[in-house]
Amino acid sequence: MPSIVLDRVSKVFRHRPAMFNWFGRESAGATRALDDVSLEVSAGEILVLLGPNGSGKTTTLKLLSTLLLPDDGRVLVDGFDTSKQGTEVRRQVGFAIATERSFFPRLSARENLAFFAALDDIPRKHRGPRIQYLLETAGLAPAADTLVMKFSSGMYQRLAIARALLKFPSVILLDEPTRSLDPAAAIDVAETVKRLSAKGTTVLLATHSFAESAALNARIVVLLRGRVVAQLEAGSHDASELRNFYFDATVETAGAELEPQIVA
Amino acid sequence: MNVVDKIAAVLRRDFLTAIRYRAGLAALLLATAGELGAFYYLSHAVGAGFRPDGMAYFPFVLVGTGFFGFLMAGTHALLTAVQEAQQSGTLEALLNTSTPPAMLVLLSSISAFGRQLLQMLLYIGTGLLLCQVPERQTDTLLVVIVFILSVCISAGLGLIAAALQLAMQKGSTLLWLFGSVAWFLSGTLFPVTALPRPAQVISSLLPVTYSLQAMRLAMFQSDHHGALLGQVSALALFAMLLLPLGIAVFSLTLRRARSLGTLSFY
Repeated sequence: MPSIVLDRVSKVFRHRPAMFNWFGRESAGATRALDDVSLEVSAGEILVLLGPNGSGKTTTLKLLSTLLLPDDGRVLVDGFDTSKQGTEVRRQVGFAIATERSFFPRLSARENLAFFAALDDIPRKHRGPRIQYLLETAGLAPAADTLVMKFSSGMYQRLAIARALLKFPSVILLDEPTRSLDPAAAIDVAETVKRLSAKGTTVLLATHSFAESAALNARIVVLLRGRVVAQLEAGSHDASELRNFYFDATVETAGAELEPQIVA
Repeated sequence: MNVVDKIAAVLRRDFLTAIRYRAGLAALLLATAGELGAFYYLSHAVGAGFRPDGMAYFPFVLVGTGFFGFLMAGTHALLTAVQEAQQSGTLEALLNTSTPPAMLVLLSSISAFGRQLLQMLLYIGTGLLLCQVPERQTDTLLVVIVFILSVCISAGLGLIAAALQLAMQKGSTLLWLFGSVAWFLSGTLFPVTALPRPAQVISSLLPVTYSLQAMRLAMFQSDHHGALLGQVSALALFAMLLLPLGIAVFSLTLRRARSLGTLSFY
């Protein structure tokens, strides 16, 4: 059984103008974030989602984490349907949310992780050692007892990954995990991802970085305007090869055959 | 799922956050003292002849304002839990845990309920010390029952307010409107019987009206068995209706927000 299944999934975000749209500057419409996307990811596989801004990468991750529900199609995680079995899905999925503001600023890194561990039903006796292990793995052990309001962007990013790993999930979703990291820390993240994959954890990673994608030797899926426009099997691809592949795929398909992103 | 463990985690988070903001407690105590003083002198100005619902004015207004403030603050705490999580950016991270969302919101309000309970005890306790109520007939068990039923109602209304916050991002405005109407109509400062007839009808539809009347009866006139039974029965009905309704409305609204992609809009 595949770990992740997206079966003909579509997602449209509808927007309407504010109630008092005095000058008529806002218009009603809809953004097609995903359009009939089908994907399968095996247990322990790493899948990299590449695509320009607004291509549907984060929407895909949010659908898998149950933060969004699909309009059409089915999203399954370890056989659980995200629309009907949200609690079961959330037990399987760790999502490293790409925002600095997703922590409690006046708690330390350790206190933040302890709080989320309790909400994730991690037994009390396992929490301390697990948090310590994750802080060390994330390179945050020296700052473990510092209030996170004093953290840099890169530290937040690493703490988000540590939080996503707290419940030892079977699926981990990483949204631009190396965005604010220095090169050494980015290499650490790549190594962590490969280690998780080797242990059977399925990894879905959204990124703009060809270097990061190349470092993972993973299957690549290119999204453009909510559609899968190209796939590259797992293997050893260098960053320039990926860059050519990406631009070939996106430039070729950016023309007439795709619907405009904003639809009336 | 270990609920006690989760409650402990929430209380610890809120305690640590509270002590790291240093100014709050002194301001709170000052405000409570100021309010008490104002009502004490107001009751003296009104005079001993004014006996709303057959009791002295100071204990009447003390329970009215103290318990009303507690219930509204509790209701507001659930809305605030969602609003703050949206604004601070923690909502999506919280909703990605395996704790059910309605429980998350209820848990997040526990500290606020506890803080308001302490403030109310301080407020009413100090007030009763200031002004002895000689004819007091208190039934502690009934006080506890009225309190628990009222908290259930407050939590149910709070979940509906939290749902409004998710649905239209302006739940606090509607709650403010509801609070203002309820404050005026529920017999907080004066008895409901002083209101015109149509307003009395609206008042009879507000659960907080029954909470205040039942609490006053349980604290000062517990020998009025018939009246107490009626008030407690009405409270039990409201609690049985509003708590499940609040959970259902919140769950449905959350599902809609997940569907529309508006979860973290504020």
